[in-house]
Amino acid sequence: MQQTEHERFHISPFFVFFTIHCSQIGVGILSLPNLLNEETGHDGWMSVIIAGTIIHILIWMIYKIFKSAGENKDVIQVNVQYFGKWIGNMVNVVLLVYFFSFALIVMRIYTEIIQVWVFPLMGAWQFCLIILVLTYYTVSGGFRVVVGLCFWGVMIPLLIIVPMLVFPLEYAHYRNFLPIFDHSVLEVIKGAKASTLDYLGFEMILMYYSFVKNAPQSHKWAQWGNAFTTFLYLIVVCIAIVFYNEEQIRHIIWPTLTLAKIPEIPFIERMEYIVISTYVMVIFPIICLAVWSVTRGLKQIISLKQRISLPIILLLLFISSFFFTKRAQIDQFSNLVSTAGFYVLMAYIPFLWIYVSIAKLFKSKASEK
Amino acid sequence: MKRALYFMLVALLVLSGCKSSRIVDQIQIIHAMGYDVKNGKYTGTAIYPTFKQGPMTKPDILTTESSTTYDLIPRLSSKSALPIEEGQIRLVLFGQQFAKQGIAEIVHSLARNNKVGSHLQLAVSKGDAEELLRITAETTLSDTLYLSNLIEQNIREMNLPKTNLHIFLYNYFGKGRDPFLPYLEKKGDTVKLEGLALFKYGHYVGRIDLRKSFLVKLLLDETKNGVYQLPISQNEKKGRVLLENLFAHSHYSLKKGSSPVIDIHLRIRASIRDYPMWLDLSGQRSFQKVSEQMEKKLNQDITNLLSFFQKKGVDPLGIGDFVRSKTRHWDEEAFYKQYRHLQIRPHVKVDIVQTGIGE
Repeated sequence: MQQTEHERFHISPFFVFFTIHCSQIGVGILSLPNLLNEETGHDGWMSVIIAGTIIHILIWMIYKIFKSAGENKDVIQVNVQYFGKWIGNMVNVVLLVYFFSFALIVMRIYTEIIQVWVFPLMGAWQFCLIILVLTYYTVSGGFRVVVGLCFWGVMIPLLIIVPMLVFPLEYAHYRNFLPIFDHSVLEVIKGAKASTLDYLGFEMILMYYSFVKNAPQSHKWAQWGNAFTTFLYLIVVCIAIVFYNEEQIRHIIWPTLTLAKIPEIPFIERMEYIVISTYVMVIFPIICLAVWSVTRGLKQIISLKQRISLPIILLLLFISSFFFTKRAQIDQFSNLVSTAGFYVLMAYIPFLWIYVSIAKLFKSKASEK
Repeated sequence: MKRALYFMLVALLVLSGCKSSRIVDQIQIIHAMGYDVKNGKYTGTAIYPTFKQGPMTKPDILTTESSTTYDLIPRLSSKSALPIEEGQIRLVLFGQQFAKQGIAEIVHSLARNNKVGSHLQLAVSKGDAEELLRITAETTLSDTLYLSNLIEQNIREMNLPKTNLHIFLYNYFGKGRDPFLPYLEKKGDTVKLEGLALFKYGHYVGRIDLRKSFLVKLLLDETKNGVYQLPISQNEKKGRVLLENLFAHSHYSLKKGSSPVIDIHLRIRASIRDYPMWLDLSGQRSFQKVSEQMEKKLNQDITNLLSFFQKKGVDPLGIGDFVRSKTRHWDEEAFYKQYRHLQIRPHVKVDIVQTGIGE
């Protein structure tokens, strides 16, 4: 692959919908109602909408950045172009470490869920190994294979898991929404901050932007992808609000999974096991996308071939997964990653946008003269 | 090289399913669990089916004693030849004494346990839970699922309000509501459903009979099913009619002020299933008179029931939760201080839709 990739490695703009949506919905949605309940109680649905709106603006910023900096570029090149070789590459390394931790935490939380719900006696490394071998298989197939996986990672859960959310409505207490605005504006915003973390993942478009055919055209699909995520989160949060009450939800770590305990059919009495196993289709594309982003970044920074860097990254992921054995450690690391993600979103992207816009302004003024 | 890799991959995927399997006839699937307390010692009773030849199952019982509730199931294991599985528990039965002492420990453990389903039933028995479970195992009933089926059947078809583990936890943890459970009693060689057991802070505080639990069912939610006997009089004759609920809907409203008033509008579409021969239901006027009598009696019964709840300080109907939904920054403590003196007015409207196929 040269600086400008060959046509056959590109994806059509339409698929950005799937990559954005798929990378956003991960393990976060399983505990989202609990997270929101801490801050905003039954007014949590407002926070979801506010957070979704903020992400819409950030996506708009990302497209503006690339419009000013030039298409066919990714964030690695943009950083070097604007911040110089040293600072630019430092920022790049931080970004890659962030993507790496993102893949690690998604994988580790999912294996934790499997351990808690299904196989308490199995070690986490067994699942990590299986997932990482599959990741190797997928990522070595190239970016288009990863995107194909994203497509199925959206469609399969949508067809299997989402219909299951209807059943808990049998126990709905619609009164739980009332009184609306029982929490202060500050609490709603705090809730929005907490739920922003569940929208993380879309920023990987910074890495694969140059792989999109007619990239500016994909803007509307990116926005639709985020809108769909917001819509799904809103549904899940609303169902959790009417199904549980505030005190009850505090005792449940993964309220969304516990919702799946309600549907019952004669030959499968416990649907949550089906949901957990299908959920690998949600988790897996995220890991692939993040690992791909890291290898792609390494290739851009130090011209390391992806064929060589991929096994190294996967091995590192595998080894790192050994460091987390307790729930408290996983929680701590997850908080760390989401805080890092929050700053990538709220500080880095707007900063880059402002910087790039100002630079463009000066440039155009200079050329006028 | 590539082929070997694929082989490894397939082997990994396929074989990973083989670990920690549980084969049906190599485990003991508990169907019901009973908890009792006697002289400071806890007794746990588990009832499980053993598979003999063919489709026939025979219920078996395990009991054990311990000074805490936590190690009852591990202790049961020490008496069992096969590993005990709790994933299929359908009923957890508390003896009345145990329920009085508090069921919080068991409830929290059930809430944490990912193996049990949300459709699990909880119930309270008048005597010992062990005794009741023995009846279902040893007499002609001989069915491990007898008690849970009994409860579910009564929820579906008769007077029992909907309950299961999820609803119990919802009421137990929720602010402004108190849980209730089915109340079972030994009657000779069988078990009889006797109404609802009321709880406050996880302790059994009292019970109401099955007739009144119909009223609870009406007041809680939209319901179908359930029967209620009402006295009736016409032309100086006195008798009783049996009202069958076809569809009931309750609507709460709150009048705020220094002494708040709660109005409960209850609309019942019902059929009269059985009535005395002399009762004349042919004309519009007599029909109306009959339903007016019913409404009056139902109003009276509901008022009595509510004042019983208020006197006991329990809130199984979730009136506190209703007030919360209408009040900003609702204060639970302050509400229950004045709960006893709260004015709650029922307004029942009965629509008699049909009287059966005969006249």
